[in-house]
Amino acid sequence: MNLNINNLQKYYEGQPVLNIENLTIQAGSLLGIIGPNGAGKSTLIKTIAGLIKASSGSIYYDNNKFSSKIQKHMTLVFQKPYLLRSTVFNNIAYPLKIRNVERKEIEKRVIEVMDFIGIESLKNQKAWTLSGGEAQKVALARAIVIKPSLLLLDEPTANIDPNSILVMEEAIKKFHKENNSTVIIITHNLGQSKRLCKEVAFMNKGKIIEIEKTDRLFNSPKHSTTKKFIEGEIII
Amino acid sequence: MEAILEGFKNAIYLLLSFDKEIYSIVGLSLYVSLASTLISSLLAIPFGIILGIKSFKVKKIIVRGLYTMMSLPPVIVGLVIYLLISRSGPLGRLGITYTPIAMIIAQICLVTPIIAGGIYNGTKEKGEEIKNLAYTLGANKIQTLFLLIKELRVYIFSSIVTGYGRAISEVGAVMIVGGNIKGHTRVMTTTIAMLRNMGDYEMAIAIGIVLLSLSFIINSLLYKLQQED
Ligand SMILES: Nc1ncnc2c1ncn2[C@@H]1O[C@H](COP(=O)(O)OP(=O)(O)OP(=O)(O)O)[C@@H](O)[C@H]1O
Ligand SMILES: [Mg+2]
Repeated sequence: MNLNINNLQKYYEGQPVLNIENLTIQAGSLLGIIGPNGAGKSTLIKTIAGLIKASSGSIYYDNNKFSSKIQKHMTLVFQKPYLLRSTVFNNIAYPLKIRNVERKEIEKRVIEVMDFIGIESLKNQKAWTLSGGEAQKVALARAIVIKPSLLLLDEPTANIDPNSILVMEEAIKKFHKENNSTVIIITHNLGQSKRLCKEVAFMNKGKIIEIEKTDRLFNSPKHSTTKKFIEGEIII
Repeated sequence: MEAILEGFKNAIYLLLSFDKEIYSIVGLSLYVSLASTLISSLLAIPFGIILGIKSFKVKKIIVRGLYTMMSLPPVIVGLVIYLLISRSGPLGRLGITYTPIAMIIAQICLVTPIIAGGIYNGTKEKGEEIKNLAYTLGANKIQTLFLLIKELRVYIFSSIVTGYGRAISEVGAVMIVGGNIKGHTRVMTTTIAMLRNMGDYEMAIAIGIVLLSLSFIINSLLYKLQQED
């Protein structure tokens, strides 16, 4: 899915938290978003997902305004995912169930995706007994099981051990490649954005300071704030 | 002390002898409180959930009103309903004074806020998160409502059980609008109140035992539900 954002602004109690003049994300991109806490990263992807109404401006999805049809073709994995009070299997099956997919097909696709992420052994476990990292893997599996054309990820590997991070990155990469979907991933793990993304955007104070090919952004950032941020210096 | 023991013995005897009057009283109690809890639940579940997930202007006032109504004194509810349905009242034409229908209506007024308030509290905590999840996974409005009900089931069940407990143990409202008429509107609580006045403790204790047992079952259910969480 192709995204076109124009003059997007969001205010909370008169305070601007998002102010994006122009952002175009080509179909099939794998874009990373980095930036300090409170920069507006989550607000941006929640607005793209239709969860938050922008104060002004527009977002076009393949040249269309937001609609329920578009809502069905994208998913968002939250910073702190909510799992349904049921088994891991039922969690991953839910988005298929509400799309009236046949039972046999659901079974097949859920098992496939669990395999893909390496959580087959959790199939019948109750969701509330999972560890934090396992829960995040289940949330990712649940998001990609419908093969969305836009996948939005808000720090999907925050609680995950280094080895499982690589497993999840492989899964995201493979998903991206096989489906040619657009993927946007917010991460505080700069190494992750280097490994995973073709393009990276740096956000600060509600604005996109720069968006570049990954190599470029990390090797020769144009803005001094970007440079400070990636070199681990304090920015105000 | 002796009177209590004697009463207790005779009470067991009454229960085991399947005294018709006792069982009709227990039956009517169950009928009135089940019917009112059922109707209250149908009203309170969507109301409590919607109040929990939507934000609108007068919400604060509605929530405060709801909390107040959760602790309405039953005699006041009874009195108001009575005045409405009594022959000279605005709904006097219905002719439902001193009927089980009137008792059910009074209990609906008492129980609906209790169930709605409990569900609202649960929804306030998790509703938004569940709604957002449903939305991002592509659910439509109806599917979202069903998911909310499913995910909040523990809160919903425990609120219903609490409401039912209130209905079956309440005496003030059903006494006023039902009138404790023998074989017609006499329920467990009103019988106990009446028998105490008459000094007939055996029957009062027998019914008390049934009421306590029902309470025990209800609370065990509640406990089990809370354990599940
Ligand atoms: N509902 C709200 N009401 C008021 N302010 C809000 C609300 N939601 C977010 N904000 C503010 O908007 C700003 C951006 O928040 P956002 O969650 O988008 O940041 P973020 O870049 O995702 O940060 P982090 O890296 O910590 O997740 C923050 O300053 C936050 O306090
Ligand atoms: Mg965030």
